[in-house]
Amino acid sequence: MHDPRLAIEIAGIRFNNPVLGASGTFGYGLDMAELIDLNRLGGFCTKGLSARPLAGNPPARIVETHGGMLNAIGLQNIGARAFVEEKLPLLRQYDTRIIANVFGYSDDDYIEAIEILNDGADIAAYELNISCPNVKEGGIVIGNSAAAAARLTEKARRAAARPLIVKLSPNVTDISELARAIRDAGADALSLINTVVGMSIDVNTRKPRLNYGTGGLSGPAIRPIAVRMVYEVARVVSLPVIGIGGIASAMDALEFIIAGATAVQIGTANYYDPRVTMKVIDGLSEYCEHHQVDSIFSLVSSLRKE
Amino acid sequence: MIDTIATVERNLEPAKGYRLLTLNFNEEFQILPGQFAMLRAHNGYEPLLRRALAVYKQDSPGQLSFLYQVLGRGTEMLSLLGSGAKVDALLPLGNHWPVEECPRAIVVAGGVGSASVLMLCEQLKRLRVDTQIFFGAANERSALGCGIADFLALDLPLSTTTDDGSFGEHGLVTSPLERHLDEDTRTAVVYTCGPWAMMKRVAEISRLREVKCFASLEAPMGCGFGVCVGCVVAVNTDEPSGYGSYKRVCTDGSVFPADLIRWEVAAMSH
Ligand SMILES: Cc1cc2nc3c(=O)[nH]c(=O)nc-3n(C[C@H](O)[C@H](O)[C@H](O)COP(=O)(O)OP(=O)(O)OC[C@H]3O[C@@H](n4cnc5c(N)ncnc54)[C@H](O)[C@@H]3O)c2cc1C
Ligand SMILES: Cc1cc2nc3c(=O)[nH]c(=O)nc-3n(C[C@H](O)[C@H](O)[C@H](O)COP(=O)(O)O)c2cc1C
Repeated sequence: MHDPRLAIEIAGIRFNNPVLGASGTFGYGLDMAELIDLNRLGGFCTKGLSARPLAGNPPARIVETHGGMLNAIGLQNIGARAFVEEKLPLLRQYDTRIIANVFGYSDDDYIEAIEILNDGADIAAYELNISCPNVKEGGIVIGNSAAAAARLTEKARRAAARPLIVKLSPNVTDISELARAIRDAGADALSLINTVVGMSIDVNTRKPRLNYGTGGLSGPAIRPIAVRMVYEVARVVSLPVIGIGGIASAMDALEFIIAGATAVQIGTANYYDPRVTMKVIDGLSEYCEHHQVDSIFSLVSSLRKE
Repeated sequence: MIDTIATVERNLEPAKGYRLLTLNFNEEFQILPGQFAMLRAHNGYEPLLRRALAVYKQDSPGQLSFLYQVLGRGTEMLSLLGSGAKVDALLPLGNHWPVEECPRAIVVAGGVGSASVLMLCEQLKRLRVDTQIFFGAANERSALGCGIADFLALDLPLSTTTDDGSFGEHGLVTSPLERHLDEDTRTAVVYTCGPWAMMKRVAEISRLREVKCFASLEAPMGCGFGVCVGCVVAVNTDEPSGYGSYKRVCTDGSVFPADLIRWEVAAMSH
C-alpha cells in the first residue's frame, strides 16, 4: 500500500511518506477518517493542545481573502487531558504518525501540557507552536524573539518524553537567526511556517472583518514566502525541516522538498479539497516514477543554481 | 458525508439576483431536511473556499437543487456555471430539523432562509402535522427569488409579508407570527431560518410565549465538516471558559434550539 520511495525519517521517527496534515486543519485526526484513509497518510498534527481546554475567540473567526484566508480561532481546543483520554484511544486503530501540537500562554503552560501528553501512548512527537503571546511578558509573542523561543525550547526539550519539533513563526525579521537559536536550545526538528499576521477591513462598517482585529494568513497566497523561508533555514541549520504554507498539490510539496524540507504539512487546502493529502501522496509517486527517483529523500535540498 | 464531483443539470434565475442550481450526482443520497452541502466550481482557483448551501429540493436520489442568493465572489462564481459544468461537492452535512415531537408546526422563513425549510415543509405535510408557514421577503422580486411559488404549491396555510408591501402583507414576517401565537395558543414548535436579526426576534417571540423554537444558523465556513472551528456561535453553556462556550454551526448545527444561542453575540457581521 505504501510506496517505499516516499518513506522518510525525521528525528528517528519513520514516516510512510512525507505528507502530513497541518495543525488546526485536521481536527484531532478522527474528523478526517470519513473522508480519507488515515492509514495512507504520513501523519498529522493535532489542533493546538493546551494544559486546560480553551473556548477561543468570539466570531467572526475566519474571512477569505485573495488566494487564502485569515483566521483568529483563538486556539479553541479540548485540552491535553481530554485528547489523551478521549481521542488517542480511538486513533490507535490507524497506522499513521500522530504529532501533538502544543501551545501555552507562558512557559509553564507549555510544560504542563507536555507533561500531560507524556502520559499518552502512541504520540510520535511534539510540535511546539511558539506563535503565541506570552501573557507573563506583556503579550509579546514568544516566537518573535530568538531569546524567548530558545528559553522555551530548552525547557520543553527537558520535559518532553518524545522528539521535539519547534514550529517557527514567519513574523520575524530574520528567520535564520531564530532557527539557529532554537537548534542550539535542543530542538530535534523545525517546522515552518505558521500563519502570516494580516488584517482585512470591511469598508462599509469600517470595522475589521475579524472580531479579534488581526488574524493569521494561510493558503496559496503565502506559499512563496514559506518556500523562501524553508530554503533560508535549511541552508544554515542541519536539523530536519518540515515545510508548511499554501501546499495544495504534489508540485507545491516538491517545491518545499527541493528547497530543503524533508516532509511537508498541508493545511488550508484540506478545507476546500478534503482529499488533497491523498492526491499529493499519489502525485509524489508519479513524480518519482517520471523522474526516476528511488527515494524522495534524494530530492531534499536539491535546488540547482545554474 | 462524501466528497464528490457533480454535474450541473441547469442553473436557472427565478428572479434577478437569485439562482436555482440543479446538480446530478453519480451517488444516491438520502438528504434530511435542513442538511447542506459545501460547493465550488471544480478546478476553480478563486475563491478558494467552498460555499455552504442548504439542499432546497431532492428531485431524485441522485439529483439535488440549491436555491441561493448571489451575494459575493463565491455565489457569483456558482451563478456563472452552465449545464454540464462540474462542481466540487461535499455532502450531506450538518444535523437536521427535529420533527419527532411536533404536535403543530410553525415555519418562519426570512429571505433566502426559505432554502433551508422547503424540505421541512414537505416532510411536515407528509407526516400530516398541522403546519402554518410564514414567508417574509424584502419585496416581490425577492419573494419570487426565494421560491414563493414552491411554497404556494405545497398547499399549506401560508402567509406572506414583504418589507415594502409589494407582495402579501406590508411589514416584517414577525408581525403575523406574533398575532398567530397570541390567537392560537395550542402547543406548537417554531422552526425558523433567515437573517440573524429576524431569527433573534422569532426566538424572543417564542421564548416569551414558552413555545419551543429551533433555528438554522449561518456563519461563514472554512471547511463545513468541523475541523477549522471557524463557523462558531456563542452558546449559553458556561464551559469551558468564563466567556461562555462556542459551538460549530457546521457539525453541532446548523439547527439549534433557539434558547441555547446567545443571540446578542452575532455569528458574523451583517
Ligand atoms: C448551513 C448554511 C446553509 C446555507 N444555505 C444557503 C442557501 O440555501 N441559500 C443561500 O443563498 N445562502 C445560503 N447560505 C449562505 C451562503 O453560504 C452565503 O451567502 C455565501 O457563503 C456567501 O458567499 P459569497 O462568496 O457569495 O459572499 P462573500 O463574498 O463571502 O460575502 C458577501 C456578503 O455575504 C455575506 N456572507 C458571507 N458569508 C455568509 C454566510 N455564510 N451567510 C450569510 N451571509 C454571508 C458577507 O458578510 C458579505 O456581506 C447558507 C449558509 C450556511 C452556513
Ligand atoms: C483555521 C486555522 C487554525 C490553525 N490552528 C493552528 C494551531 O492550533 N496550531 C498551529 O501550530 N498552527 C495552526 N494553524 C497553522 C497551520 O498549521 C499552518 O501552519 C498554516 O495554516 C500554513 O499552512 P497552509 O497555508 O497550508 O494552511 C492554523 C491554521 C488555520 C488556517
